[in-house]
Amino acid sequence: MGSLQKYYKQSATYKIFTGMFNEFTDFLDTLGKITLNGIDVVKFILKGQIEKNEVIAQCYRFGITSLPITLSIVGMTSIIVASQVALEMVKQGGGNFVGLLMTILIVREVGVIMSGFAIISMIGSSLASEIATMRVTEQIDAIEVLKVNPIRYLFVPRVIAGMLMMPPVVVIASAVGVIAGAVTSNLTSGLGYRSFFDSAWLGIYMKDLCVCLLKAVCFGGTIALISCSSGYYAKGGAKGVGEATNKAVVWSFVAIVIWDMFFAIAFFF
Amino acid sequence: MSIEVKNLIKTFEEKRVIDNVSFKVDNGETLAIVGFSGSGKSTILKLICGLITPDSGEIITSKGDIAMVFQYSALFDSLNVADNIAFALRERKDLRNKYTEKEIKNIVAEKLELVGLKGIERKFPSELSGGMQKRVSFARAIVTEPNSILYDEPTSGLDPISSTLIEDYIVRLKEETNAASVVVTHQMSTITRTANRVIMLYDGKIVYEGTPEEMLKQDNGYTKQFVTASLEGPMKMLTEN
Repeated sequence: MGSLQKYYKQSATYKIFTGMFNEFTDFLDTLGKITLNGIDVVKFILKGQIEKNEVIAQCYRFGITSLPITLSIVGMTSIIVASQVALEMVKQGGGNFVGLLMTILIVREVGVIMSGFAIISMIGSSLASEIATMRVTEQIDAIEVLKVNPIRYLFVPRVIAGMLMMPPVVVIASAVGVIAGAVTSNLTSGLGYRSFFDSAWLGIYMKDLCVCLLKAVCFGGTIALISCSSGYYAKGGAKGVGEATNKAVVWSFVAIVIWDMFFAIAFFF
Repeated sequence: MSIEVKNLIKTFEEKRVIDNVSFKVDNGETLAIVGFSGSGKSTILKLICGLITPDSGEIITSKGDIAMVFQYSALFDSLNVADNIAFALRERKDLRNKYTEKEIKNIVAEKLELVGLKGIERKFPSELSGGMQKRVSFARAIVTEPNSILYDEPTSGLDPISSTLIEDYIVRLKEETNAASVVVTHQMSTITRTANRVIMLYDGKIVYEGTPEEMLKQDNGYTKQFVTASLEGPMKMLTEN
């Protein structure tokens, strides 16, 4: 019986199923930890236990340092979309709707989700690796021994900064995206700027702007929370930091796509 | 009594790392914990300061703070020396509004003077040598006037002269603060120069308890092997198990 069990444990089927089971339990474990940390962050915010100076420093990091890459990504995505769409629409006699289409696309989706991806790759990964390094070099242990709550000190300012700075970044990036779309449409199809912006105004609704800003707040907070949590539970040395960063990026990508789907169903279904 | 550990047990992934360990450390006393790497020494310190919880057993500490000096100093690399030392005074809930910035500045200067590093407030940890980082971490540890100080391999990775300096500061801090100190170390000089008593751990259990002088007499198989750094003896390296 013992040798049969040993033989079974060495089989590929057993290894595949235990591997899948471990991945699943790891997924639930991570989800649970992120949720609990999120609850703690909300509690500290409600109690007003906020480090203002640290929030300002993190706002600078979220808002200013991420801006060049965010604007580039949203701008280039708009150029790609406009270059694919504008000429065809003008050819089909729909030139008057290019501005409207581009604006709806950018305000509702491209601006916010591409900004989210840019913030994840630039800020989320750096938050996760910073906190993971603090974990593996015992700096977080030192914070705990000094009787300071690491969630309050590390998570709260970053989550607040994410929620505060993501909306202005998205607004600026979306504006740049619309302008890039107008310039590209003009260059590829000869569509006039007046024609583009006249129809663009028709595509902007207050509801779209509000949903866009709400999405940005949720994306910013989620990216910061997931990135901090991934770093916080890092184990081991350099490998652990790498794994935490990877986890932060993957989970944040998935989370903002889920958020986006939720908003699409809730507001535009 | 300042630290009392009773029948402590801690298991990690089915491996019992701490197996029924008990000891006491009084105020003004320094206990050295020695043993192989992986014998559970640092785990005991983490249990005492509450970073991990025991499976069973009791840790009784007298009222007041427990400070810890980490093996690699664990200074906050994004903060300068002054902000590192003042961290608990500014961020801890019960101390946050207790001191003005001027008072904090004076406390930082006083603690830095105590560890012989006057005037380096504005430097960052990356600009300091290993020995200096260690002394800054001493200053950070004692800023809250703790009753107990735990040192995790305070002289590891330091040259002999820096090690002697650190050992002098351990003795000096004990005299200045009258704190109960626990030093985890591999180094004989740290044991003989700083400790009043020694316990040796092997496989999670205490296999020797006595004074540093008695330990050097080598009448115990374990201490004999440790002191003579011999491969022959009752302790087997992990690779031999």
